[in-house]
Amino acid sequence: MTLISSNPPAPLDSADSGALARAMAVLYWPLAAVLTTVGVFVVCHVPGPNEDQVSLVQRIYYVHLPVAINTFAACLTVFIASIGFLSHRRMWWDDLAEAAARVAVLLGAIVLLTGMIWGRAAWNTWWTWSPRLTFSLILWLLYVVQLMVRASIESRERRAVISAVYGIIAFLDVPLVYLSAKLIEEMHPASYTMEPVQKWTLALWFVPVTMIAGGLISMRYQLARRISAKLAGGTR
Amino acid sequence: MIATLRQIGLLAGKDLRIEARSRQTLGLVIILGVLIVIVLGLGLGPQQAAGFGAPAVLWVAYLFAGVLCFEKTMAIERHDGAMAGLLLAPVDRGVIYAGKLLSNLALMLAVALVITPAGILFFGFDLSAAPWTFACVIGLSMIGFAAVGTLFSAVVSSTRLQGGLLAMMVFPIALPLVISSTQLLLRVFRDGKAVDGEALAILIAFDAIFLVVSWLVFEWVLEP
Repeated sequence: MTLISSNPPAPLDSADSGALARAMAVLYWPLAAVLTTVGVFVVCHVPGPNEDQVSLVQRIYYVHLPVAINTFAACLTVFIASIGFLSHRRMWWDDLAEAAARVAVLLGAIVLLTGMIWGRAAWNTWWTWSPRLTFSLILWLLYVVQLMVRASIESRERRAVISAVYGIIAFLDVPLVYLSAKLIEEMHPASYTMEPVQKWTLALWFVPVTMIAGGLISMRYQLARRISAKLAGGTR
Repeated sequence: MIATLRQIGLLAGKDLRIEARSRQTLGLVIILGVLIVIVLGLGLGPQQAAGFGAPAVLWVAYLFAGVLCFEKTMAIERHDGAMAGLLLAPVDRGVIYAGKLLSNLALMLAVALVITPAGILFFGFDLSAAPWTFACVIGLSMIGFAAVGTLFSAVVSSTRLQGGLLAMMVFPIALPLVISSTQLLLRVFRDGKAVDGEALAILIAFDAIFLVVSWLVFEWVLEP
């Protein structure tokens, strides 16, 4: 494949990238840190249904759900970036797909771990093949494999093409995994009635979690752009 | 349309003729599949092995046997620049995909015809309730599995990567097939219920989605 232009016009040049990184270091990350701290404080003080152990562990839900939704957003980003790469053949799409895949794996691992901790308290078992656990595990595996595949291909152009094809197939697989996992007998709490204060706590947690996920994707992306620039010999 | 079908037939015929003359793949894959069934039967022991483990055990055998078949059918294009010749042929890349898919399906059918009776026999799985349901479910699953496997075998083959990678790429993608077909078979054979329309729809949707998408993206993954 020689369709890929070796010096694509990147949407981000070095000066911009440096300024953006500085702005993130000064404003974005401290803000995310403050909001996370506020979130932790609120979670410690929000009233639960009753103060038994399950109810205490129940609070992990405020992290679990926002992270799960952000995982899905990261997977969607991989899908969009993969389509973008195959249709435009610009390397920055591939960098974006890689950044999002990495964050999807990280967030997916957090979803699995928080879910397992909660399951241990609620069901007295670390793992059970309930539909949603199965779904989260397979979703996580799909994107771990994408990173493994990327790591084992040396040619940059081939890696981009193959990982874009895989990114599309993997995302199309997600609804099928979800539907087929639903065939397994359910034991996950389907819906959970929440007090307004609990809803607000959950809404509060969405902000820092989404900021951290977006910030991580952006940082990985900027790093990959800089590596690309170095590899291209300082020219773009 | 007729010309396309003829081209697909020619390409698949070429692969199957090579296999019929060299007999490199089938014997190996069938023995491997039967070995997997035996190892799982022994590992589970007489208590666990009797009953409804057969679909799961058969799936393990199909997955590994399938990956070997897909690898071999694509690997024959690696010798003597055959892939360059194939790419220079005046046919659509999608036709090459369909040809490879057809030869893979023929190989899988041959393998399944040996492994399935072995699994059913060793695990005492009673097919008499709905033999055609069993055949249809396994057939639909095989089509979806081969659709994804054929695409990724071209990916792996073109990058000269080691064998384990194909299994790593195909297994997670094929898991919806495994879950829905085993759940469907358990409901029909263990619980004596009617065929679950939803599970069947997932199998058909999987086949349709990945046949179309693989046909579309196949040209990007091929490389001489």
